[in-house]
Amino acid sequence: MLKFILPVLSLSLFLILPQPVKSSDIFPYAYKIEELDNGLKVVSIPLPNPNIISYYTIVRSGSRNEVEPGKSGFAHFFEHIMFKGTKKVPRAAYEEFLTLLGAGTNGYTSDDFTCYFVVFAGRENLGKVVETEADRFINLTYDEEMLKTEAPVIEGEYYASVSNPGRRLEELLRDTAFISHSYKHTTLGYLGDILDMPNQFEYSQLFKQRFYAPDNTILLVAGDFDHGQLMELIRKHYGSWERSNYTLVTPTEPPQTEAKRAHYEWPTPTLARLAIGFHGPAYSDVAIDQAALDLMAEAAFSPSSPLYQRLVISEQKCLSLSADFESHRDPYLLSLSAVVKKDEDLPSVEEAIWNEVERLKSEPVAPDLLAKIKSNLKYALANQLGTTDGVAGVLSFYVSLATDPATLNRLYGLYEQVTPQDITAMARKYFVKARSTVATLSGGSAR
Amino acid sequence: MRKRMLFGVLGIIALGMMIMSISCHKENPNTLTSELLPLEGNPLVHIRILVKVGSANDPTGKEGLASLTFGLLAGGGTRTRTYKELTDAFYPMAAGVAVRVDKEMSVFSGTVHRDNLDRYYAIFKEMLLDPGFREEDFNRLKTNQLNFLEKTLVSNMDEPFGKEILNLMLYEGHPYHHPPSGTVETVSSITPDDVRAFYKDQLVQGNIVIGLAGGYPADFAARMTADFGALPQTFTPHFSLPPQRMPEGLEVVIADKQTPATAISMGFPVSLTRASDDFFALWIAGSHFGEHRQHVSHLFQKIREERGQNYGDYAYIEHFIQGRDKFPSTNTCRQQQYFSIWIRPLANSNRHFVIRQALRELRKLVEEGISEERFELVRTYLLNYTKLYAQTLEERLGWKSDSRYYGYEDFLAEAQARFPRLTREDVNRAIRKYLNFRNVYIAVITQDGEGLKKALVENAASPIVYANPNMPKAVLDEDQVIQAYPLEVKAEKVMVIPASNFFRKPGLPGR
Repeated sequence: MLKFILPVLSLSLFLILPQPVKSSDIFPYAYKIEELDNGLKVVSIPLPNPNIISYYTIVRSGSRNEVEPGKSGFAHFFEHIMFKGTKKVPRAAYEEFLTLLGAGTNGYTSDDFTCYFVVFAGRENLGKVVETEADRFINLTYDEEMLKTEAPVIEGEYYASVSNPGRRLEELLRDTAFISHSYKHTTLGYLGDILDMPNQFEYSQLFKQRFYAPDNTILLVAGDFDHGQLMELIRKHYGSWERSNYTLVTPTEPPQTEAKRAHYEWPTPTLARLAIGFHGPAYSDVAIDQAALDLMAEAAFSPSSPLYQRLVISEQKCLSLSADFESHRDPYLLSLSAVVKKDEDLPSVEEAIWNEVERLKSEPVAPDLLAKIKSNLKYALANQLGTTDGVAGVLSFYVSLATDPATLNRLYGLYEQVTPQDITAMARKYFVKARSTVATLSGGSAR
Repeated sequence: MRKRMLFGVLGIIALGMMIMSISCHKENPNTLTSELLPLEGNPLVHIRILVKVGSANDPTGKEGLASLTFGLLAGGGTRTRTYKELTDAFYPMAAGVAVRVDKEMSVFSGTVHRDNLDRYYAIFKEMLLDPGFREEDFNRLKTNQLNFLEKTLVSNMDEPFGKEILNLMLYEGHPYHHPPSGTVETVSSITPDDVRAFYKDQLVQGNIVIGLAGGYPADFAARMTADFGALPQTFTPHFSLPPQRMPEGLEVVIADKQTPATAISMGFPVSLTRASDDFFALWIAGSHFGEHRQHVSHLFQKIREERGQNYGDYAYIEHFIQGRDKFPSTNTCRQQQYFSIWIRPLANSNRHFVIRQALRELRKLVEEGISEERFELVRTYLLNYTKLYAQTLEERLGWKSDSRYYGYEDFLAEAQARFPRLTREDVNRAIRKYLNFRNVYIAVITQDGEGLKKALVENAASPIVYANPNMPKAVLDEDQVIQAYPLEVKAEKVMVIPASNFFRKPGLPGR
């Protein structure tokens, strides 16, 4: 994890770091970063898009933070609790405020962070949004009964995707691959823990105290506003928020020494699924590993890769083939997945993926393919930055990882440096059979 | 300025001409039209080909043909290049061609950085104007479509499955009756010749609206018009749709499968579309009752927030597809619409209670209308929320062409002008005119379907159990009423059908 390395000037001053755009930068907009003396970081991106403002609150609390047994899914549960209101603005008043504002609003939780957003029209509304959101985060008030009523909603959310075999396969892969780290469970958590959430009032308060604090939070504001006015509002309304000074220690995952397998039998007819997970690195915008792996995922498993073309387009054994090497704060899984049309093709598809993994260790990716991948990544990002909310959405992910939008420029700088030899080296380093887990799912043979 | 649109009564030719008169600032119905949104300096360009043809145009016995044909254009090779060559060419641009088929409209679209516009468009054009209809692509996409119908839809995605069952109930014997993907039997019968013929007949100038938005060069629209002007100068006359069939009482279809959760969709036809003056008043009612994934939804408040039953509960006054974030998608315009309630999956044990609760809330809406306070709140909400609808190039262009379809210069601007003029009584009048609680189709996916049927028919008590032993008294008191709320469900109006029997052939299984 990358931290700001900035001198503390004094308790009463703010750190201001304007970031003009350099020609080498992939992120095309100027932004400013300020840090309040309670540790709250503010990333401000004034944009020319008229009238719309995206106001994101990023709390670095995700399923990664659920380190105690029985608490899986708690970060996501607490996201729901965050909508319960305060003494000054109770839940009903908060909802009425958002309703009158006509805001697009919600929260979502991932492995590493929880993001709350309010997207609204009209810069004249900014003051009220800052005031109300600050009050919500500083003065959240809820009682045990409110928590007990909210808990079954999580059960309902679990049920909303209970018919999705992709989710089941992900649960199986993670649960099998990890022993100790909290990435063992998904963001939703184990069903048993979800059913116990009504009894977790005390723990919820501990969770809030640990993680819902300015030194664990980043505000990201993009759109049509004046930076000076924004900061004045933020200083006024968030200044009293107290630090938690809590340091999370996530369990260290012991090195995996033997290959693992697991299978889930789906109760009704479904396309078979396969996922192979290898233990990978934590996100870094300094080491070449993540950047090289990102390029490898494209070279070997994207729709224009030879394996995809063979399994999906020519032989047509698979409906899809993909690599998910999503960046995480702690070492996570590099997973290769396929949806297979016929159960009997599962073994040959798995073998083909293993062969590709071996090939990557010895055959360097062609330089012209690497150039195409770098182009793809550049334009894919540009496509996402077309709206205020697109900018906020992309940056929220990277800011959650590294607390600094510049990490995006550094990561893309690394992409430019990746060589075919780097990719070969990463394949050798991470694609080790003894550190792999294979999860499969099939069921209810067709017709 | 807007023009009105009437439906279903004027016959094929007259209706076809009428639609053209509103959709196209043009004289000749046989030629293309265009929607342009030039934004100088924007680094992106969105290209969109709207085809006024959809699954309702599928020939009888070939249901699923529009999806397979248009899917093949977007996901197959051209006459001179394989699909692999196309994906390789697109790859460095991080671009592709997306396709979506609805009942009466289909859309091909792609967004590309202006650095790559010429290279991108050369392929885009080739895919639509010089398709390969290669056997290997045909087989691949046909198999995928069959797999979707046989396995994915009925086994892996209960929420869309529930909505498709509701669609089957709403549109028996109607051109809207089948999912755009068709049915197993009819897709199996589709041949490469069927696909070629459908393409030849339907991808014609009069059916097409060219859409362009973003930082494209000044001469680009003319180039596109010239290229697509090579298509035949003709159009598909719009068919006259049969009247929509209202349910007779509560009609229930239960898809029976092994599952820990019950998915529910319910609804009935409504005799209005966005083209109607009443739409704006009913929009406020729908938003109040069940705005999609927003706290303002009354159903959401009653079922989820007060009782923690599930993840969400919403209602819609027209067909709704979620687009970016939670906003409505565009270019799914239809001549006929329906009202629906979507209850997201909940524990099987509470299914009967929640069906009662939703129908009782619907009754209260119809009988009591909206309060003055809620009317004011929701009107303000919509005035602001709809300002967020059209942000991306795709959305801006989509809303523009949808406006024209329904006869407006700018539908969202029209809403901004109309909402302030509405009264609470306008809304309540629209509720009474278009909504009802007695005649409702109810689609349920659950296990032990016979058990649910019995409970519904017998009006068995359906008490609810909470994790919270100290639920507010007001909620518990209301629960007493809900758990005994009588529903008039007749045994002969309830069908219990194994889930795997759906979408084998057109219509409801067993009919």
